[in-house]
Amino acid sequence: MNKITYFPGCSAHGTSEEFDHTLKLVMKTLDVQMEEIPDWNCCGATSAHVMTENLAIALPMRNLVLAEKLENKTMGIACASCYSRMKVTKKHLDENPNLAKKINSTIIDEGEYHGTIDVKSMLQYCFEEIGLETIKSKVTKSLAGLKVACYYGCLLTRPKDVTHFDSPEYPMSMDLLMEALGAKAVDFDYKTECCGASFSISNTEVVESLSGKILEVAKESGAHVIVVACPLCQSNLDMRQPDIEKHTKTKINIPVMYFTQLMALAFGFPEKELKLPKHIVPVEEALKNIGKIEPEPEKIKKTKKAVEAESEVV
Amino acid sequence: MITLGLQEKNTFLEAVNKKSGANVLECYQCGKCVSTCPVSGYMDFPPREVMQMIKLGLKEETYMANSMWFCLTCSACSGRCPREIDIPAVMEGIRHLAIEENYHSQDKKVKEITRFHEIFLDMIKRYGRNYELRMMAEFNIRTRNLFKDMHLAPKALLKGKITLGHESTKSAKAIQKMYKLAEKLEKNK
Repeated sequence: MNKITYFPGCSAHGTSEEFDHTLKLVMKTLDVQMEEIPDWNCCGATSAHVMTENLAIALPMRNLVLAEKLENKTMGIACASCYSRMKVTKKHLDENPNLAKKINSTIIDEGEYHGTIDVKSMLQYCFEEIGLETIKSKVTKSLAGLKVACYYGCLLTRPKDVTHFDSPEYPMSMDLLMEALGAKAVDFDYKTECCGASFSISNTEVVESLSGKILEVAKESGAHVIVVACPLCQSNLDMRQPDIEKHTKTKINIPVMYFTQLMALAFGFPEKELKLPKHIVPVEEALKNIGKIEPEPEKIKKTKKAVEAESEVV
Repeated sequence: MITLGLQEKNTFLEAVNKKSGANVLECYQCGKCVSTCPVSGYMDFPPREVMQMIKLGLKEETYMANSMWFCLTCSACSGRCPREIDIPAVMEGIRHLAIEENYHSQDKKVKEITRFHEIFLDMIKRYGRNYELRMMAEFNIRTRNLFKDMHLAPKALLKGKITLGHESTKSAKAIQKMYKLAEKLEKNK
């Protein structure tokens, strides 16, 4: 059994409870024990680093210090924003021992920072440490028939010198993960565009404009579902969707799910474990596509035949 | 007064470079950041112009513009910058400098954005963690916009999207102490 230190983040017990819940189911299936950091605190999210210098370091740093005490190799983080703050802080501290010493000695009571723990997003952990083959081996109900648009947002892969994970422009890890579950990941040009993030409350019209474009492109790509790995992206794309529809006078109606919900489904957990009633845009209709395999379009069939015939001639 | 040329030392540029760890002088004004930035259309001056303003030492104009407050730190610009300048760090640097030097924009949107961040930080100070419902309520009260997002509330509450209660860390007191110490550290700079 593998063991990781788990940082759920504030939204895990509210807005993104379905993420936290399905993540735990999935990790149990994959034989990973998640040890939650006792008495963790908010990482400060966007607000701390926008407004202050020292708290922006100190808040995540307290969590890193607490995490190191658990002595696991890796700290897995559910929320993309928490992940980013923790990673940025770790980079600052590791590159600048004086800063670590200063904040450690003046602000943090819980102990020394050593820089010994590896910080990963849960998507990254699934992709890099568990591996697609193991994930594939646990699938009992293939998601074949379901077309998904994988949306990574900004912080899972950017900035590159902080995350060291996947491509900052066109990442594929979540796409490959979805394909391992049997789903079809569609080409999706807006997979790393920003959803508006923390402007959700203070600058809603910006969020509606940015998220609106992401939803529109996802819809055009033919996806039944948008898959995300961040609670803030989920709430911007899901909760704001009815308002976006109203303002743009178009019907979008595309559900936004966490990658762990689809993993749980493919691992054979019943639908009620996905906590679908928490979604503002209903999911049930989209999931009916599972098992419905579309016949290959005539045009593609013809092209394939032509290519085969040609290669025979050669 | 705008003074161009080398006769004066550009202390603003130096301060920004020191704060951000970036070298703004490297910018050759290609504008890739502008086309990449998802919010450049909302900014008084898009990132490229902000970089030039810093190079010209236009301190007050830079501080009073909404640009740095609209930056979402999505890092799309820095990923594509051919000079590999950490533009979000520059935006962060000028935000922190403006706060330190007591520049306050009177722009309504900027005020709302900063108010949100203050309330968010206040939630952490009080509970150690964020308390979403209270944060939203306080934002509405303090920006005098009581009915903002109220149409979403019944559905969000009913579906458990937003919870009524809150949880706090056992050591919320430790967090409060951290806040005090951090403030002290910032003042003593």
